[in-house]
Amino acid sequence: MKALLIEHSTPPLEVIIPILEKAGRGEQELTTQLYNTYTSLAKGMKEILGLKDKNMKTLAKVFEISLGFEGVKFEPIELSESRYALSIPDCPMIHVGKDVSFNVKSKFCDLICTSGSRAFMDTLLSPNRGTCTWDKALIKGAGKCTIAFELVKSR
Amino acid sequence: MSYQKNSVLLISILLVAVGLAFALAWLNIAKSLSYADLKTALETTTATFGTLLGIITAGLMFTQGKFSELASELTDKAPNYLAEVFSLEKMQSISTLLLALQKRFAELAATTTVTEERNLYERARVKASSMFVNLAVLLNLKLKQQGLPDTAQVSEMDPNLYKVYQKRRQGVKKEWQVFDLIQQITNIWEAPTVFFAENSRSQSALQADLTSSLSILKFKETVDKSSANIRLEASKTLSDLDNEVSEISKRLHEDKIPQLLSQMRHASTLRGKYFYLALIFIAAPLLINLLILPQLSETTAAFFQPIISITSLLSVMGVLFLLLYIYRILSE
Repeated sequence: MKALLIEHSTPPLEVIIPILEKAGRGEQELTTQLYNTYTSLAKGMKEILGLKDKNMKTLAKVFEISLGFEGVKFEPIELSESRYALSIPDCPMIHVGKDVSFNVKSKFCDLICTSGSRAFMDTLLSPNRGTCTWDKALIKGAGKCTIAFELVKSR
Repeated sequence: MSYQKNSVLLISILLVAVGLAFALAWLNIAKSLSYADLKTALETTTATFGTLLGIITAGLMFTQGKFSELASELTDKAPNYLAEVFSLEKMQSISTLLLALQKRFAELAATTTVTEERNLYERARVKASSMFVNLAVLLNLKLKQQGLPDTAQVSEMDPNLYKVYQKRRQGVKKEWQVFDLIQQITNIWEAPTVFFAENSRSQSALQADLTSSLSILKFKETVDKSSANIRLEASKTLSDLDNEVSEISKRLHEDKIPQLLSQMRHASTLRGKYFYLALIFIAAPLLINLLILPQLSETTAAFFQPIISITSLLSVMGVLFLLLYIYRILSE
């Protein structure tokens, strides 16, 4: 597990954001890299943990382990068949340089959470079966950020 | 954190107690004591200090005994480690990998314009240098042990690194201290924190810095194709180093070396505290017996009254302090 997490690690935000800012390009490449990395990570962890089902419980387990490895503390709020929500009191984005504006942080918060959550949901729920929302509370200055995964209601 | 809180609480309690006892004694005891009372108080104080000194000495001997026992256990293991775990081939292999890392990351840092990125590469270079120096010291000790001339990679060190090497080499005075060096090597590589338990940002290891660097290089590779070769080379070095250091780390943990070292540090700290306590409790009765008691007479009693009150109080405080201190030692 440790080897897998080391092999599929993501670029540190406090470094990659200034690089992108300076280059003025590369966002698409970063999105792709993050999606591929988190997909490989989710697949590998699912296999190591012997998780067969594609459901919220599997997603919650894998997501929490990957957060733990990145040193992100979290508090689970809800876990049901159709919804999984958790709050995080700290996030790597708030450690990004002080001179980086809220708008830039907000943009990268969306970019990272979109590609990361999409990778987890596509791998652990099935493509287009779930949605993920995040309230960006931490970068707005509030105490905790809430992330929620929900199953898309089938017609 | 809780250790700091306990210390602050303990010191606060002691200060309040000293203050209260001092005020009470000043107000009530000093004025009402006769010459005979003063002499008895001094003798009792001396006896109390003596008894406390006995207890402290017992504690000092116990912690010294524990320290010696642990040092002896580690000393017995040290030659075996240098012979088996750190073969010459292994040390040379790790040194070569670290040198390659140092050079590569120095180049990367020199050609990077983004401060955060440069800091990351620089951090990796400094940690690789530190591991390299520790390994050179171990190699020096091993060669000495085998009666071979010192061929430690001194030529690969710049003057600053050589100074660090000399300092660390001279710092190893006992055989068991090689384990300190070995543990430092594994800690620089993979951080001493427990997996998942701590925030990786607060104490990044060389391995984490290299992993982060590789992610950055991978990203740059997708943007401008400039760093493909560098990433592949660094990735191979990371993997090889991980194999080498993981083997050492595994053996250290199997032999419970980190626990033994931690117990030694704890015993050493306690020994130091007992030593200073013993000094205080030797000095105080000596002062009383040599300076105050011979001078004490009916006429000088009034002059010595405040001093005797204070020494009496000190002995009371000594008992209180020792009880609290023993409680803290037992609860640690």
